[in-house]
Amino acid sequence: METTLSVRHLTKQFESTRALKGINLEVPAGRFVTLLGPSGCGKTTLLRAIAGITDPTAGEIWLAGRRIDALAPEKRNFGMVFQTYALFPHMNVEKNVAFGLEMRNVAKPEIAARVAAALELVGLDQHARRLPRQLSGGQQQRVALARAIVIEPDVLLFDEPLSNLDAKLRDSLREDLRTMQRKLGITSIYVTHDQSEAMALADEIVVMKDGEIVERGTPVDLYRRPRFRFTAEFLGLTNVIEADLSGSECRLPWGAVRKIENPAERASEGIAIRPEDIGIDAAKGEADGVVEQSMFLGASTHYWISAAGQELRVVTAGGQSDILATGQPVKLTLPPALHLLKTFEPAETPA
Amino acid sequence: MAIGMRHSQRTQLWVSLGLYGYLILTLFVPLGVIALWAFYDPAVGWFPPDIVPRSFSLSAWGDVLSDRHILPSALLSFFVSTVVTLLTATLAFPTAWALAQFPFRLKRAVEVFVLAPMIVPGIVVAVSLGEIFFGLGLAGTVQGIILVQTVGTLPLMIRILTATLEGIPNELILAARTLGAPPRVAVMRIALPLAWPGFLAGGLLNFIASFEEFEKSFMVGAPQVQTLAVRLWSYLGGEILVLPTAAAVTFLLLVPMLIIFFIAERLMKEDVMAAGLGKL
Amino acid sequence: MTPVRPTTLLLCLLPGVGYLLVFFGMPLVRVLVNSFSGRGPQTEVFTFTPWITLLTTPVYLDGLRFSVWLAVAPTALSLLIALPLSALMQANETSRRFFGSLYRIPLVVPGIVAAFLVLVMLDRGGMASRILTPLGIALPRLVRDEWGLGAIIASSWKNIPFMTLIISGSMAAINKDVLSAARTLGAGRFTILWRIQLPLAQPGITAAVLLTFISSLGSFVVPNLLGPSYPLPLSVHMYTEGFTKGNWPLVYAMGTLLSIVAVGVLLTYYAIIGSIGQSDAPKRAGA
Repeated sequence: METTLSVRHLTKQFESTRALKGINLEVPAGRFVTLLGPSGCGKTTLLRAIAGITDPTAGEIWLAGRRIDALAPEKRNFGMVFQTYALFPHMNVEKNVAFGLEMRNVAKPEIAARVAAALELVGLDQHARRLPRQLSGGQQQRVALARAIVIEPDVLLFDEPLSNLDAKLRDSLREDLRTMQRKLGITSIYVTHDQSEAMALADEIVVMKDGEIVERGTPVDLYRRPRFRFTAEFLGLTNVIEADLSGSECRLPWGAVRKIENPAERASEGIAIRPEDIGIDAAKGEADGVVEQSMFLGASTHYWISAAGQELRVVTAGGQSDILATGQPVKLTLPPALHLLKTFEPAETPA
Repeated sequence: MAIGMRHSQRTQLWVSLGLYGYLILTLFVPLGVIALWAFYDPAVGWFPPDIVPRSFSLSAWGDVLSDRHILPSALLSFFVSTVVTLLTATLAFPTAWALAQFPFRLKRAVEVFVLAPMIVPGIVVAVSLGEIFFGLGLAGTVQGIILVQTVGTLPLMIRILTATLEGIPNELILAARTLGAPPRVAVMRIALPLAWPGFLAGGLLNFIASFEEFEKSFMVGAPQVQTLAVRLWSYLGGEILVLPTAAAVTFLLLVPMLIIFFIAERLMKEDVMAAGLGKL
Repeated sequence: MTPVRPTTLLLCLLPGVGYLLVFFGMPLVRVLVNSFSGRGPQTEVFTFTPWITLLTTPVYLDGLRFSVWLAVAPTALSLLIALPLSALMQANETSRRFFGSLYRIPLVVPGIVAAFLVLVMLDRGGMASRILTPLGIALPRLVRDEWGLGAIIASSWKNIPFMTLIISGSMAAINKDVLSAARTLGAGRFTILWRIQLPLAQPGITAAVLLTFISSLGSFVVPNLLGPSYPLPLSVHMYTEGFTKGNWPLVYAMGTLLSIVAVGVLLTYYAIIGSIGQSDAPKRAGA
C-alpha cells in the first residue's frame, strides 16, 4: 500500500521548553528512517506525536493523503516498539501478540494463525505460553516486535528499542530487525541516540538537534559529506581543522594546498577530515607530526598526532604493522579533496 | 475536517466538570451547610423549608468558647495526638529498620503480626483494653488513651517506615562503616535523616488519625477524659441533639485538620502512603 | 541485606513488636479465652454459655448480619466509585493537581463529623429535603432507617478517597509504556481500564477493599448516630453489654466472632483472587 507519512510544521510546546520547532518531514512508503540526535533533541517527542501518544501544539500529520493528527492513537494503525518492551505482564506471549488483533475484532481462528506466524517470524514459537517475566530482554523485545507486526500496521515506530539490551544481543537483534523490515516492507521510523545503530539500520538518517532537523540523507552521504559540523561530529569521529580558504582551494597549516569539493560563499566552520582518511607512516608523507598517544583496539589503532599546532586523530586498520611509539615522528598524508563544514543556524533563537 | 478542539481535550473538559461537580456536591455543600448551622440565630431558629437561616448570630460560638469543657478537650486532643505520634515514631523505627535491612527466618510472621491490628476490627482491641485498663486503674486517664491509640497507629507507621528504609541503599551504611562509623552511629546519622519523608508522611497520618479517633478513646477514656471527637459525640448522640454547638465544635475539629492536611500536601509525596498501605 | 547478630535483631524488634505483643497480642488472646468463661464469681470455669447466647439469640444474630451488611455495602459502593475515579485521575493531568488535593479532604474528616454531615444533609428536615421538597421530589428515609442507608453513605463518603488513594497509587505504578502500547494496538480507554489497569492494580485494589471492609465492620460511632434502633450492629451491642451491663464474656464472644469474620473474609478474598490466575501476577507491575 502506498503510504507516505507527512509531518508538516509540527510544533510541541511544553511549559518551559519548545521540544519541536516546526518539523517538516516526508517519509516515503517502505522506507526505514532513523531519527538520530542527542538526548533532548526532540526525536522521542516527534515519534510520540506521530503515534498520537503526545498531542502536538500545532502542525499536521498526514498519512497517504488523510490527515491523522486529530485521531486517537488507537485509530491510527501504527505498530510501536518501546525501549522498556511494554509487554502486558499478566498475559502470556500468545495473548500479548494477539491483543491488537482482538482489538480489531479479527475472528479467533485467524488470530491463532496470524499469531503463530508472527511468533515464528521472530523465532519464539516455542515460547508461546510463557509469561514475559520468564523471558530474557532480547526475547521480550522480539515478542514486542511480533505484537507490533502482526496487526499489519501502516507504519512501524521504534523508540530506542535496543537501548536496554547488552551489546552482543543488540547486534544480533539489530540484524534481525533490518532483515525483517526489508522483507515486510513496512514504513519504519526508528529513534536512537546511537549513531552506529542509525547507520547500520537506516535507509535514511534524520539528524535532530534542539527540536529541529539539522539535515537528512543516506548514511553514506551524511558520513562522507555532512553539511554541518554538528552532523560531522555526531556521526563517528572527525577532525576539524582551521584552514585559509580562497575560492575553491585551501591552504592547510603545514603549507599543503588542497581542493575543496563543496566551496561556500560565506564563512564556514572548518575542514572535516575523518581519522581513517589520514594516511600515517613512519617515513612517507607530506606533513610532519609527532605521536602523542596511541590506543590499540584490535581491529584498528587510534593515534593522537600533533602536527603544525593542530591535534589530529588518526585511525589505521588492523593488519600486522608495528604500533607507532609515543614521541615518534611520523608523516601524514591527506586525501586529495577536502570537505567544508558549515555552522548550523537554528531557525529560532533559543528562549 | 477542521478540528476545533482535539478529541482528548474535549474528554478532559467533561472529566474535569464531573470531578468538580462531585466535589461540590459531596464536600463543599455539606460543609457549607454546617457552617450555616454554626452561625444561625437560635432565637429565630432555622426550620424547613428555609434553605438559608433567616438571621445569623454568633451565639453558638459564644456558648462553645465559654463552655468549660470544650477548649480543654481541644487542648487535650492536641496533646494526646502529639504524644501518640512521637511515641509511635520512636517505637516503629527500630522495628522498621530490622524488617528493612536484616534477613531473618521469622520475618514473614513478624510482618503478618504487625499487620494484624489492621485486620482485627479496632473495636475488639478497644473493648478489651478498656476492660483491662479498668482493672489497672488506667481507664479514664490520658495515659490510657495514649497507650490504646498507639496500638492503632503503630502498624501503619512500621509499614511506611519499612517501605522508606527499604529504599535506602545498603551501600550507604557500609560506606559509613568503612569510614570508621560504628553501626549504630551509621544508622542514626545516615539512615535516620534519609528516612525523613517516611517520618513526615507517617507522622502526619498518625497525628490526623489520632486527633479524629473515636472508638478507642471513647471506650478507654469516657466519661472522665474526653478528646474533642468524643466531646462532639455528646452533642450529637446524647439525649438531645444540639446542632449549633455541634456545628461549632465540628469546626474546632476540622480547621486544624485541614491546615495540617494542606501542609502535608505541600510536603509529602503521595506514593509514600500508598506504599505503606498498598499491599496486605 | 546485612547479616546481624541475634541480640541486635531482638533489640531492634523489641520496641515495636514488643509493644504490640503486650497491648494487642495479649489482650486478643484474653478476648478469645474469656469468651469461654462465665460471668460473676465463676470466672475460671470454661463454658460455652456466652457463645450459645450469642449464636442463638435473634437480637445478636440480626446484629451480626447487620454488621456484615454495614461492612459490605459501603465497601461495594466505594469501590464502584473509586475505580473509575482512580482511572480518571491517571488519565487527566491538569485537574489532577488541584482536584487531587481536594478529593482527599474526607480522609482527615473524623468519622463522627462525616455522620454529622449526613445528619444535616439527609435527615428529615435536612438540607436535601428542603431543596427537593418544593420541587416535588420526596426523599426516602435515610437516617435511622432499617437498611442503615445513612450509615452506609457516611461510611462510603469517607472510604471513597481512601480507596482512590491506594488504587491510584497502584495504577500509577504501572509502566506508562504498557498503556501506550495498548493504545497503539487499538484499545480504547475502557478496554485499557478493564483489561490492563485493573488486573495490574489488583494488589492495591485488594488492600483497599480489605481495609475498608474491616474498618467498617468495627465501626461504632457512625451506626450509633445514623443507624436504626433495630437491628443494632454487634459493635454497638459490644458497648452496651460491656459498659452498661458488664457482661464481658458475651462482649468477648462478639469480638472474637467479628475477628473471625474479618479473617475469614480476608482468606476468602485471597482464595478468589488466587483462582482467577492472579497468583502468578508479578510483584512489580510492568517491570
